Amino acid sequence: MRNWILAAGAAALAITVPALADPNKGQGGQKAQKGTQAKVERGGGQQVRQAKPDRAQRQATVRPDRGRDDSPRNAKSQGRGPDKPIRSAKVEGKSRPLTVDVDRDDGVRIVRRDFTGGIFPGRGLANGCPPGLDKRDNGCMPPGQVKNLLGARLADNYASAMVPFAMRNWYPDDDRYLYRSGDGFIYRVNRSNSLVDGLIPLFGGGSYYALGDPWPQPYDFYNVPNQYRSLWSDGEDYRYRYGEGAIYRLDPTTNAVNGIVALLAGDLGVGSRLPMGYDVYNVPLAYRSQYADSSDAWYRYNDGYIYQVDPKTRLITALIDAII
Amino acid sequence: MRNRLAYLLALALPLAACDRADRAPGSEASKEAAGDSTIAQGLGSDSARFEAAAKAAGLDTTLAGPGPYTVLVPVDGAFDKLPAGALDTLMKPESRPQLTKVLTNHILSGAILAEDIARAIENGGGKTQLMTVGGGTLSAVKDGDAIIVTDSTGGRARITAPDGKHSNGVVHKIDGVLMPA
Repeated sequence: MRNWILAAGAAALAITVPALADPNKGQGGQKAQKGTQAKVERGGGQQVRQAKPDRAQRQATVRPDRGRDDSPRNAKSQGRGPDKPIRSAKVEGKSRPLTVDVDRDDGVRIVRRDFTGGIFPGRGLANGCPPGLDKRDNGCMPPGQVKNLLGARLADNYASAMVPFAMRNWYPDDDRYLYRSGDGFIYRVNRSNSLVDGLIPLFGGGSYYALGDPWPQPYDFYNVPNQYRSLWSDGEDYRYRYGEGAIYRLDPTTNAVNGIVALLAGDLGVGSRLPMGYDVYNVPLAYRSQYADSSDAWYRYNDGYIYQVDPKTRLITALIDAII
Repeated sequence: MRNRLAYLLALALPLAACDRADRAPGSEASKEAAGDSTIAQGLGSDSARFEAAAKAAGLDTTLAGPGPYTVLVPVDGAFDKLPAGALDTLMKPESRPQLTKVLTNHILSGAILAEDIARAIENGGGKTQLMTVGGGTLSAVKDGDAIIVTDSTGGRARITAPDGKHSNGVVHKIDGVLMPA
């Protein structure tokens, strides 16, 4: 009961004070506020909406020592410019954890309550979101706002907002589409008209869809990451969709989740630093003779790929093999 | 510990048979290295509760898929250590997201053998960390020859049967349930 009360109290605080960082106080706060602004334009470039602060709060649950903060699991880093390294830490508050993001160059960026963590995730909230806002998978945006992103023109300043390192090989640009990210989403942009025609929600800290959950309509297009497309393609029996750290199998008649075919960690990507938790050698058994750790190179597996790591700097230097 | 108990009481898992064998494609090399059985097929009779929970969460297809994953599988007796009713609560349909979160706290990316963990513990000065696919962090230490894994709430489990090798990964049987933060 005590935890319930604490959780409810924290939720109320988070609703009334959606961002602890004051945009008028210091550079970090200004950057945080700027980072939460939507930059999607409709038609001729008129800005049509601004993201709610709650949305940014919900973008991701940050864990300490996870390496670079552009991991898909740390989706809040999107929209802050390409590939700028930041570090994070979770601080225990009195009632709910505080998440503090620290920019390597500029000091504290954002301080906010963790909406999705806590002892009873989602309790007292609506799927981890404040009452009245939408499901957890869209950054707690009010219903309808997500749909407004579709068909909109992505602002020019998103041209360099690349997909996080770990997902860049999942969604490579091709002749038809560009993939950019921001505000907790990957935007699929149709090259022919520069309009956003697909949204992919980034990780939300280990909150998964459950069996029977209807698949959200705004995300309902074939979005299986590139390396898994040969395994799971839409057919008469099943559809497959990526979201929230997993590839889901959907019943085509109900469009509801009826299985999880793969769990994706989204932790490693070329150019990023090997996170804590990957010190343990994890290369699949059949590839060990080929990719054995040495003093010159480590090898680690993640989400269908084997990566090479510089042991001295812990930088992930190359994608060595795709093994799916 | 109080938070851990409270969390456990709020959750739960149903038990049924997990008989799916719809193996997704895997590499020939993987099969040669670890045989043809998948993790889902090879969980064993001492892990019926975990198997049932995985099925309830829809993760039986994951464990039958290409992987590779390393799964820390609590044996049936491990669930007896949970507070009374916790498993039943977790198994309710409305608790499925929590159930999935608990289960994914036992699944790691790639294939990790006990000797890999032991080596990392040694290199780490007596301790190492393991990242779960659910985003959780587990720590591992040695206790004699055994490996002890601790979750972020302080719950501990001992690897009692290491290195079950399958075509899509590795299974280590453990004697406790590892809860997420």
